[in-house]
Amino acid sequence: MGDYLDKWKQYREPGFPGQLDYAWGLAVDLDRCTGCEACVVACQAENNLPIVGEKDVGEGREIQWLRIERYWEGEYPDLRLRFLPMLCQHCASAPCETVCPVAATYHNQDGLNVQVYNRCIGTRSCAAYCPYEVRYFNWRTPRWDPPLEQQLNPDVSVREMGVMEKCTFCIQRIRLAKDQAKDEGRRVGPDEVQPACVQSCPSQALRFGDRQAPDSAVSKASRSARAYAVLEELNTRPVITYLRKGEEHD
Amino acid sequence: MSVLGLFARPETALAAAKALTDAGHAVSLMSPYPIEGAAEALRLPRSPIRRYTLFGGLLGFSCGFGLAVFSATRHLLPTGGRPIIPLPPFLLIGYELTILFGVLATLLGFLICARLPAWRERPYASETAVDKYGVLLECGADGEAEAETRLRAAGAEAIRRGGELMPPEEGT
Amino acid sequence: MTEQGLSHARLNRDVLRTLTETGPVYWWALGLALAVSLVCFFLPWGYQLVAGVGVAGMNRPLVWGMYLSNFIFWIGLSHSGTLLSAVLHITGSPWRRAIYRSAEAMTLFSLMVAVLFVFVHVGRPWNIYWSLPYPNQRELWPNFRSPLLFDVTAITTYLTASFTFLFMGAMPDLAAARDGTTGWRKTLYTWLALGWRGTEREWHHLGWAYTFFAVLIIPLAVSVHSIVSWDFALSTVPGFHQTVFAPYFVVGAIYSGTAGIVTVMFLLRKLYHFEAYITEDHFDKLGRLLLVLSLLWTYINGLELFTGWYSGSSAELETLRYKLTGLYAPLYWAMLLFCAALPLVLTSSRVRHSFRSMLAISVLVNIGMYFERFLIIATSLPRKFLPNTWRDYLPTWVELAILLGSLAIFVSLFLIFVKLVPSLSIYEVKETLPHGKGADGEGPP
Repeated sequence: MGDYLDKWKQYREPGFPGQLDYAWGLAVDLDRCTGCEACVVACQAENNLPIVGEKDVGEGREIQWLRIERYWEGEYPDLRLRFLPMLCQHCASAPCETVCPVAATYHNQDGLNVQVYNRCIGTRSCAAYCPYEVRYFNWRTPRWDPPLEQQLNPDVSVREMGVMEKCTFCIQRIRLAKDQAKDEGRRVGPDEVQPACVQSCPSQALRFGDRQAPDSAVSKASRSARAYAVLEELNTRPVITYLRKGEEHD
Repeated sequence: MSVLGLFARPETALAAAKALTDAGHAVSLMSPYPIEGAAEALRLPRSPIRRYTLFGGLLGFSCGFGLAVFSATRHLLPTGGRPIIPLPPFLLIGYELTILFGVLATLLGFLICARLPAWRERPYASETAVDKYGVLLECGADGEAEAETRLRAAGAEAIRRGGELMPPEEGT
Repeated sequence: MTEQGLSHARLNRDVLRTLTETGPVYWWALGLALAVSLVCFFLPWGYQLVAGVGVAGMNRPLVWGMYLSNFIFWIGLSHSGTLLSAVLHITGSPWRRAIYRSAEAMTLFSLMVAVLFVFVHVGRPWNIYWSLPYPNQRELWPNFRSPLLFDVTAITTYLTASFTFLFMGAMPDLAAARDGTTGWRKTLYTWLALGWRGTEREWHHLGWAYTFFAVLIIPLAVSVHSIVSWDFALSTVPGFHQTVFAPYFVVGAIYSGTAGIVTVMFLLRKLYHFEAYITEDHFDKLGRLLLVLSLLWTYINGLELFTGWYSGSSAELETLRYKLTGLYAPLYWAMLLFCAALPLVLTSSRVRHSFRSMLAISVLVNIGMYFERFLIIATSLPRKFLPNTWRDYLPTWVELAILLGSLAIFVSLFLIFVKLVPSLSIYEVKETLPHGKGADGEGPP
């Protein structure tokens, strides 16, 4: 009886029940971002993103788990261009998770917002609820013209028509690192894992790591005076820290 | 055995049924629409359906809330930073199932109380579904003549001995 | 036979005649409706099942489109039938009797069409049963925290309750049909009527059960459309995220449902010659109801604009600007014309007593209400928070065809219904007839 009462109390607490294994996070330094889109290409290659074709791109159905948003400011000739890399924010209070009727998207023990492709029935409600527009739907059956199917990453499943997909922080790499660390009887180092986008960023604008470790690059970034979260006012509690362009540096 | 008397007017049929009931006979009244006061005249108790509804509703609420709690705790799939057992959504599930089970229990209660479905031969006259009012008088095997006299005396304009059986073999 | 017998027997004949006597017009209408359902609904849907939801015009950020508008529209149309019938039963309004059967049938069929749209909407409809709570070896259950699961629960309940309510109310009439028909119909009605004999015991318990149904259905109907509104209002999307959404949807649903009843009543009266039973008085009462509902709806609609503007949030203001002056502004203003301005003529008793003007108003109100449902989605999702993703939405021929096809499915179901179930409540209309007071025998006064 007391056992049930304890469980009830635990299950009534908001947030993740129990302790997270890791709290993966990403930091985006907008001062360093050049908008070169190397991360976009790397993501495409790593995660088997479908190539939807010219017609569907024209209709707004491209699939880019990571995209660089461009915002123009001012009038010619005093014109400025800002880049905003936008990817799944893995929100701690994610609107997309609550709305899924089949629990195809939920929060896992690494603090990640995961998407279970096999469970998805394609109501697209998660995408409608997402304020960041980082969920992408497979409107048609994805196809790779031969021999392009030869370059698919064997560690990542290929999604079928009618399924939602989004950035996973390259969960296959996280899993691999966790397995190795487990074999060696240690924790994964705070900056050990690198998703494809982070790995390929030439200006090192992207940093990935464990926010539970106080000296990881992301933890340091989140303490910066330039740190902010996109659409903070919606209270979705994203784990991606953006460092605004500015004069002051750490 | 039973004898069915057909009446042209609801008041006469009701009065006959009431008088016969008061005299201690087993009577039922058939009419094309509910007649005001028939239940009281024939001394029907208050319908027990409300108990079925109440029980169904309570059962539905516990089943709804219970199902939500049970299914949420099989695999812990935390969503949106909410508790595993958030009260407002789960109470809502309970609310909906209260009504669902309430409706089903009311239907069940009705069927039990009204002794339906009865797909078998029973005394019946199809005129009572149109414009006649029937008084069905239960009697012993040798009391049919007496029952007929009673019904005639009460104003029945036609008598169906043994009654028209339902469902009839051929179309009417 | 007495005079009273004449009019009662005539009522039975009049209503049962609508079941058995079928003219060529009916067969043409049914054939046309079935053909349109096939060509405009099932064939395009089949195409979509093979080719993917991509054949519809949806995109990112507009991942919800016309299919969901249709879903809300049909659910909305379903409100009133059963709800109105239940409210009028409890308040003891006798004028309900002539209209409620077809109103409840409308509820049932529009709900069925609405459920169909859930299948049309989702990406993998063959897996949709995963949203039902059934035990499986992986112990995977649906997510009861999701507003979509509230929907599944609410709509299941609503379908069951409306069907039961309709069936219970029709049972005595099915028995009358059993006695008044021959052949396969007799067999069918013998089974459907469950052996109903109209004894005082049956009437007594039916009365109680029916009242309980009515009491249960009123909070249910209110909750169903509140829950549909929460599919939207529980998000953070500007234009969806509003506390007023639940009453807004409920009022809108009852509004369009009542207008739908007026349309159906008009057609039944014309086609079945129910002039004696469905009178100007019914239309007058429904007209008053429509007027009140239109005022309520207009008020909440204004409130929606006001709260958006008063929030001062740039996203809300942009959504508002897009709604009032953007791509779909003509639809918005047409909606206001049809649903807010036009129904004001119902203040005139002449209009309420004229069948034709009531028909015109009811049809226009429902067109306006369809626009409303369409605009909720088509003007909110295109303007979410990140301007980089803003994009307009244009439905494709597949979506438009499926909308038309769904209307045809509704009409087909209704046409089949009127041949199977007495579309006028025989026994309840009889209650309003004089009991042998020397009435003229030509129908009710």
